[in-house]
Amino acid sequence: MTEATGRARLLYWAGVALGPLAWGINLQGVYVLAHFSCESARMSGTILSAALTIVALLGSAISARAVRRGAGAEWTDAQGGGPRTFMAWVGVGNGVLFALAIANQLAASLMISPCLR
Amino acid sequence: MSMAAEPNELRDDVLNGLQLSTQLERVWRTPSGLFGALMSVDHKVVGRRYIVTAFAFLLLGGVLAILMRVQLAGPEKTFLSADKYNQIFTMHGSTMMFLFAVPVMEAFAVYLVPLMVGTRNIAFPRLNAFSYWMFLFGGCFLWISFLFNVGPDVGWFAYVPLSNLQFTPTKRADVWAQMITFTEVAALAVSVEIVVTVFKLRAPGMTLDRIPLFVWAMLVTSFLVMFAMPSIMVASTSLILDRLVNTRFYDPSSGGHPLLWQHLFWFFGHPEVYIIFIPGTGMVSAILATFARRPVIGYPVIILSLIATGFLSFGLWVHHMFVTGLPQLGAGLFTASSMLIAVPSGLQIFCWLATLWDGRPVYRTPLLFVIGFIVIFVLGGLSGVMVASVPIDTQVHDTYFVVAHFHYVLIGGAVFPLLGAVYYWLPKITGRMLSERLGRWNFWLAFVGFNIAFFPMHILGLIGMPRRVYTYTAEMDWAHLNLLSSGGALLFALSFALLLVNVIYSLRKGELAGDNPWSASTLEWATTSPPPPQGFDRIPVVKHRDPLWADGESLPVVAGLSVERREVLLTSLAEAEPQIREASPEPSIWPLLTAVATTVFFIGSIFTPWAVLWGTPPMAVTLIGWFWPTGSKEDEE
Repeated sequence: MTEATGRARLLYWAGVALGPLAWGINLQGVYVLAHFSCESARMSGTILSAALTIVALLGSAISARAVRRGAGAEWTDAQGGGPRTFMAWVGVGNGVLFALAIANQLAASLMISPCLR
Repeated sequence: MSMAAEPNELRDDVLNGLQLSTQLERVWRTPSGLFGALMSVDHKVVGRRYIVTAFAFLLLGGVLAILMRVQLAGPEKTFLSADKYNQIFTMHGSTMMFLFAVPVMEAFAVYLVPLMVGTRNIAFPRLNAFSYWMFLFGGCFLWISFLFNVGPDVGWFAYVPLSNLQFTPTKRADVWAQMITFTEVAALAVSVEIVVTVFKLRAPGMTLDRIPLFVWAMLVTSFLVMFAMPSIMVASTSLILDRLVNTRFYDPSSGGHPLLWQHLFWFFGHPEVYIIFIPGTGMVSAILATFARRPVIGYPVIILSLIATGFLSFGLWVHHMFVTGLPQLGAGLFTASSMLIAVPSGLQIFCWLATLWDGRPVYRTPLLFVIGFIVIFVLGGLSGVMVASVPIDTQVHDTYFVVAHFHYVLIGGAVFPLLGAVYYWLPKITGRMLSERLGRWNFWLAFVGFNIAFFPMHILGLIGMPRRVYTYTAEMDWAHLNLLSSGGALLFALSFALLLVNVIYSLRKGELAGDNPWSASTLEWATTSPPPPQGFDRIPVVKHRDPLWADGESLPVVAGLSVERREVLLTSLAEAEPQIREASPEPSIWPLLTAVATTVFFIGSIFTPWAVLWGTPPMAVTLIGWFWPTGSKEDEE
């Protein structure tokens, strides 16, 4: 396997990895920031969530690009047999789903004051 | 490690038919006699033991539930004392969660996953045997303690400071904490085996997108176990340290914090719900495809849902702590995740409904349980979305509403699929069919009994009945609903008695099952019922997601494995291309001896810290024995 092929293979998995990773960082990050953001940096959680929503969607986009770039031919739905394209499709869905989860948390950080105990 | 090719070694490409079967059976069989049984490393033998033991614990946990319902059937009853009631509800929760729900799902996986992926044994078979013994000893430890009136009485979550030495000076909390360690060691061991089996032992051609959905579900579950359970082991060990050697993990006067316990516990505790539920969804997918007579619609969507549910399950734990005074923004984040997890679960339900809609359903008992699952789980999910909201949760926290919710989710989401799985896979395991007539009675009694038992609890919670009270006064006006609930619980218990009768009857007089009685599509049905020790005479080659429907009678196979020693075929992770042949361990008594030594160490260490000193050498000796080179073929690598 050449280096370029190896890199291309990794791209199939981008959505599977980036969505949950962004969501995990957002959850932990905003949860930690909530303890401090009343006094200072009130918008920090909002900015973090917005940035990580984009990261999750980026994962979807990379996986979608991998599908479009020619992997589609290797996969027929009923029989299976194209594991990378399959995981790329799962990555597309995963990125969108976790972007939705982060956006939901972003809405929470816009609506709820960090000073409320 | 790969085996060096031996030119004179007999391989399965030169034998055929009965000769091949007999030779493989001789190599793979469990030795006879009691000693042989104790040495077994066959995943089918260990899986059967696991299933039977987990159901025995279900029976015990169920008896406790009935005792509680008798006590609560009317106001001011004196059937149980407050102390006994505390022990019983703790034992009920701990038994059901740690000794039944998680182990029984893993038990089915231990039995089925190697067959479903087309290999001859599970990865690390001796670890598998060790895992079973640890589970058995941990369960016995808890129940023997209970019989000696040292049963835990601090709830299945053992919150500090209640479980601190100051408020629980007896050994009851230690028993709970160490039982956790036993069962978690067992669960972690099985998870490692499942992950390696799925990643490396799949039949050639079983690419990632041809793996059966039940196997996918167990793969995701195994990762959940590996990431969630260390948290509870840290918690229970630090609790024992606080109680035994006066550390101060949970003592605020010395810099500790009681909320640390809740965080550690629920970081495990909420994924635990999905550790129980996700295998149930795998069972549902398997049963549904067979009885709808078509592949499950949306295979990639279901995998996406399983993976997403697995990740999201780690971001919900704080919804168990909404009333602990956390920042409202923090609680809001967990409300968001808790509501969002309904999306992947909902996607799966739509896929299953579409499969039923588009298929030609045959309404046999397993499918009835699946339909029961869908109804009950959706109701449990709806009340779950309700308690994910901070204002509602604050109102109903620690009331019977929550008891109703989690029984709908856990029994609906896991026990109904499990009962369906028993009717579906028992013919494979025992070789005999269960009675369809008794099965239908079993289903309707369970469905009606369950709803009568648990639906009134929603109302009881809303009108203010708190959890974990051993009695109530007549003026509270809770008596009628409690009586109704107790009646339903008896009906529900009766349905399990009927299942037991059905299993015993079937073992003696059940109709012979044949290889594939349901005309199912996955590989476990390609071998005999019950399967021979070697699983398959030749390893199948998979060319389709539903191999038995696509290739029918002429399932292609691969040949070349040894028939003189235990050997399995390793394949690549994504494409399942054959890579190397590897030896599979022989039966051994050392896993049992290691489990005995570990048990002595674990139990000793709740009484004295010196157990760490005198408890480890026997463990070291048994482990050395376990791995000692024996000069057998498996060591020549």
